[in-house]
Amino acid sequence: MEKKEKVSVKICVGTACFVQGGADLLLYQDFLDPVVLAGCDIQGVSCIGGCKDDAMQVRPPYVEIAGQVFGEMTQEKLCKLLQEAIHA
Amino acid sequence: MLELNNQYTTIKRQVHTAVLKQFFQDTLVENVDKIPIQLIPKQRTSNRCCIYKERAMVRYRIMALLGFDIETEDDEMKSLSSYVQEIMEEDKPLSPLLTTISTACSSCPPDRYMISEACRGCFARPCLANCPKDCITFSGGKAHIDESRCIRCGKCMEVCPFHAVVHIPVPCEQACPVDAVKKNADGYVEIDWDKCISCGKCAMSCPFGAIVERSSIMTVAKKIKNKDHMTAIIAPAIEGQFPGTLTQIKGALLAAGFSSVIEVSEGAHETCLHEADELAARKREGTGFMTTSCCPAYMNLVDKHLPFLGGRRSSALSPMAYTAMLAKKRNKETSVIFIGPCLAKKDEASALGTIDGVLTFSELASLFVAKGIDVREMDTTDSEDVSYFEDCREFALSGGVAACVSKRAAVGDEISLFQVNGIDRKMVRVMKTWEKRPVDADLVEIMCCEGGCINGPGVVAKPSVALRLRGGNKASRPVEAMRAILKQKE
Repeated sequence: MEKKEKVSVKICVGTACFVQGGADLLLYQDFLDPVVLAGCDIQGVSCIGGCKDDAMQVRPPYVEIAGQVFGEMTQEKLCKLLQEAIHA
Repeated sequence: MLELNNQYTTIKRQVHTAVLKQFFQDTLVENVDKIPIQLIPKQRTSNRCCIYKERAMVRYRIMALLGFDIETEDDEMKSLSSYVQEIMEEDKPLSPLLTTISTACSSCPPDRYMISEACRGCFARPCLANCPKDCITFSGGKAHIDESRCIRCGKCMEVCPFHAVVHIPVPCEQACPVDAVKKNADGYVEIDWDKCISCGKCAMSCPFGAIVERSSIMTVAKKIKNKDHMTAIIAPAIEGQFPGTLTQIKGALLAAGFSSVIEVSEGAHETCLHEADELAARKREGTGFMTTSCCPAYMNLVDKHLPFLGGRRSSALSPMAYTAMLAKKRNKETSVIFIGPCLAKKDEASALGTIDGVLTFSELASLFVAKGIDVREMDTTDSEDVSYFEDCREFALSGGVAACVSKRAAVGDEISLFQVNGIDRKMVRVMKTWEKRPVDADLVEIMCCEGGCINGPGVVAKPSVALRLRGGNKASRPVEAMRAILKQKE
């Protein structure tokens, strides 16, 4: 079977994201399903610019999943989105 | 205690950031009355009864942020901009620390136990058998609690195999260790200042955000704008509250407008030396246990509720006090701003007189966001020699103070320790017994917040996150280092 490429996940750890709930996302080792963890390449990155983009409709914290930026991220939302992403 | 990550924290941070942003753009007076409407737009699905109430609450939060006491200074006819003008003229005093918004208070019904739908009216009926007051009756195939006889012991809840008994507390009253939070005749929250020890637990636990802290951030913001010389003295708990290393946090403070930064751990070293000496002297004289004195909520607790412990407290000043002296010694003209996780420090600061302002981490976070400062982008080179006080950074954790004092005690001195990790109602009752039956230990370390200062009411990141970021862990590693690692991987 062909080895599936890992989903690239970038959690913004810019100050604005971190202090508005993004800090909790850094516990991803604890709240994500092991299968999801194995299928994703997760890293904390500096400001991905969501907070400075006026066109952005959603508030921080931001997470970039496979190139697409999502806002108002919570642990639950991240679980769901990554679950979908690894099966896509 | 309420989970730190919630809607209330989010909106509070947004309010604070919006106000500070306008302040630094010199447009606060003109725009402050628009902030409630901007933050709570018409399209919003309200978290309260309606968006208009939410807007009114934002107005009150802005008042508290400006430093007003809502209980006594609320004039509904007065616009926020005139409040702002008032604050530009004169700083508000630090106390009282908290202020209540009676219209936000939901006047929760009294603490009670209730039998829920889940009751199956089973045959064994352990609730009935274990109730010490015989207040459980069965009718219609379900258990019922006779409210007039129930003493709220919770036995029925413990024994029910279906988890059918629910406890409905009054969060603020339950959180208060000293019964200072009560409801007034109208059923709204009221704080008894003669009893309050300023621990901030009530403010942290109210799910309606009806108890708010009066901020002194505007005092600091004004000084930043005037380019006054300011020394930020940062509590040991700050590491882990922001992304990035401690050095980067210091860099961010300088970028935010502080002139210099001193770690309170440096003063903590001084506190430890004093406490170690005092402990040795007490041991020689055989006078029994000594308690630490760095937790200001505990100091208030002793002064107001446990006076017999007065002589047991170490006479050492708190790390904040020593650090403030240090700051003034380095520059006489500087304003000293303490930045920590603690509300009770404001009490201590106003009593001391050497501190010119107290900020919480949460307020500092809003300042960083308003000024567009990214902690992780700061420089990582630190030239300061921290070796002699580095271990005192552990003051922020339960057990840390005792460890640092023991380490500085004379060699060969066996010190037995006792820890009070978090003060709640039960702990206060235990401490009351110490009058008749002293603790069998040399040093009693007391921290009002469970886990230590990293769980204080003014934190940004909860302890589980903060612990992960402390001590230079991977997650806190600076951006450049991360990039280098990634490059290596490639």
